[in-house]
Amino acid sequence: MTVVLVAITVEAGGLVNIEPGGWISFLGAVLLFAASRLVLPKETRDLAQARLPGWAEILVIVILMAAILFGTAYALGLTDAWAFVLFLMLVTGVVITGIRAGLLSWLGHVTTRHKHVLTLAAFAVAFFFPFTQNGSDANMSIASQVLIFAAAAMGLNIVVGLAGLLDLGYIAFLGAGAYVGATLSTSAFATIGWKPPFMVVVLVGACVSGTLGLIIGAPTLRVSGDYLAIVTLGFGEIFRLSMFNLDGNNGPNLTHGPNGVPAIPDLTFGSFNFGDTHDLLGIPLARFSNYYFLLLVLIAFIILVFSRLNNSRIGRGWVAIREDEKAAEAMGVNVFGLKILAFVVGAFLAGMAGTIKAHQDVSVTPDQYIFLESAFLLAAIVLGGMGTVAGVLIGAVILKLLPEKLRFFADYRLLLFGLLLVLMMRFRPEGLVASRRRQLEFHEEDEELAVRVEGDIAEVVI
Amino acid sequence: MTVTAEAVDARPSAGVPLLQAEGVIMRFGGLTAVNNVNMTVNEGEIVGLIGPNGAGKTTFFNCLTGMYKPTEGHVRLSGVELPPKPRAVVKAGMARTFQNIRLFANMTALENVMVGRYCRTSSGAFTSIVHGPKFKREEAETRERAQELLDFVGLGTSTDHLARNMPYGNQRRLEIARALATDPKLVLLDEPTAGMNPLETRQASELIFKIRDSGLAVVVIEHDMRFIFNLCDRVLCLVRGETLVEGTPDEVQSDHRVIEAYIGTGTDDEDDDDGPDDGTAAGAQDAEDTP
Repeated sequence: MTVVLVAITVEAGGLVNIEPGGWISFLGAVLLFAASRLVLPKETRDLAQARLPGWAEILVIVILMAAILFGTAYALGLTDAWAFVLFLMLVTGVVITGIRAGLLSWLGHVTTRHKHVLTLAAFAVAFFFPFTQNGSDANMSIASQVLIFAAAAMGLNIVVGLAGLLDLGYIAFLGAGAYVGATLSTSAFATIGWKPPFMVVVLVGACVSGTLGLIIGAPTLRVSGDYLAIVTLGFGEIFRLSMFNLDGNNGPNLTHGPNGVPAIPDLTFGSFNFGDTHDLLGIPLARFSNYYFLLLVLIAFIILVFSRLNNSRIGRGWVAIREDEKAAEAMGVNVFGLKILAFVVGAFLAGMAGTIKAHQDVSVTPDQYIFLESAFLLAAIVLGGMGTVAGVLIGAVILKLLPEKLRFFADYRLLLFGLLLVLMMRFRPEGLVASRRRQLEFHEEDEELAVRVEGDIAEVVI
Repeated sequence: MTVTAEAVDARPSAGVPLLQAEGVIMRFGGLTAVNNVNMTVNEGEIVGLIGPNGAGKTTFFNCLTGMYKPTEGHVRLSGVELPPKPRAVVKAGMARTFQNIRLFANMTALENVMVGRYCRTSSGAFTSIVHGPKFKREEAETRERAQELLDFVGLGTSTDHLARNMPYGNQRRLEIARALATDPKLVLLDEPTAGMNPLETRQASELIFKIRDSGLAVVVIEHDMRFIFNLCDRVLCLVRGETLVEGTPDEVQSDHRVIEAYIGTGTDDEDDDDGPDDGTAAGAQDAEDTP
């Protein structure tokens, strides 16, 4: 709040100009801060154990989700960057207070008890978001960018979070999908004459990308750890440079080189054109809203693949590989096969996302698929929490949304992300939302944590 | 011991060779860690592998289980040559435990055993994603079998405990359960009682008899002489990578060379210091530490 006052002072030219409301909120903030200091750690533990009746807990989730929905809509509606920063600080303050009061860990318990409710509510929030925008497409453009990014991050999460493989060239698979989507579209610049319906294009894009994953994975997955990271980084660059050079001068003209494939028309399903504005319940939904809904379906599919694979024989194999590769091999787990599978499934899903991205972005050029994008995807996973669905989605939203809203920070963007990641690694290496297994892996010596997690498992089982 | 005696008599196929290792040689550069070792394990038999530190016991184990590719020699299971790949060896029906416990520490006991079922199930990615009938059936079977095995080794009540939170003795049991989950014909146990107290050791030998009585053959590496001589039908003593003695526990126990190898004599010690084999023993020791 002090920062707020300083900010207002700077903007308005002096403390005198602060309106009474500013002082009142400052007082409130000081009181809140003092109160948060007074909360005793003992109560924290008690609150985490607290249980409400089932319906009340579900109600809490619903209220929370509604708050998130309207909060996000409000935040995106703020055009003034400083107001947005202040809003962010308010949210951060609330979250910190929540942590100190043990509310968040209680929420964690509630949400694990009502997983399905949470999933449904989250999707409802995501679904209703476009309806809060009153047909404005500016925020929906950002939102659909976020969803593309989140879809790719979820795909990468299978590779990094589940199989534990460090992939620094993942954006190439998204790019492969996008190029397939572009060259098979009805754009005048598309270089392939075959124009199949979009569902086929999605599958072709996914398969091309998955095949690339197989081709890259088969030789490179024999190395592990840092070496794998270097090799995949190299592959990402190879992809970008190939797209850059397939312009007819060196080899066939597939991609128009640095110009890319522009003027990709909007998708049409039957008579439904994604470029048009449609009215639903009296609320107009414009172009980006249409893509937003399509991407939501894709993300739901990716989450389904992710969580089902995670809770299967294959997921157990991946955990075993992360824990002790030699022992896993000695117990009959097909280590190499499972690694390849993670790579291919990840690439496949990225390919699907890529085909949609091509239409949404209108043009596809090689410079959209630079190494930095791969690094951001990875950062979203690390920040949010490897191997979790919610964490990676939150990480993706943070990493993609903030730069869009904080344009005046653009020059310092990388610096800030670097700082953020360093702080995360120091204080919470398992990410914002930690999967219990990852938490254990990052805290090998923490006996107390292990016992607590064991209690949680028992709770879920009961 | 009446139970054991009956079991010995009841073994229908005693004497049929299950595992045959012939002329296994393992060299690391110039060091010969395992030199021309032959071993036969018959069905339903418990065979002990003893020897002083650095004798090459674990290296020999690693050759059997495909962790190392032997420089020379053959390993056959039920007459079929085993490829030097751990996964293929497990699939063929030979599972192992490790000298220093290698459980999946952050998984629960049940999950650990379920990983052991991996090679006997085959649900692919597709059926796992759509939750097809095969996935449901296999998943239920895996869970049921894993719980059965936990009950079998006496961990039935620790199902949801994290492996890393379990007491040492139970971790050893869990590792055995995980090995049994691969439906082996032969289990190789690498020092199953290392670090155990006398009570736990006795329980371990009961468990091994129980495994044998369920129709499996067992090979045990051990340092605890009383344990091994009570347990085994035959004992193989390795010294400096070579077979010193092979025979019944009584024969091995009374063999003066075994006693010498373990306790040593004054002259022998001097030989050790100057002898050309010294390096071999040291090399084998290194190899044992690294698997």
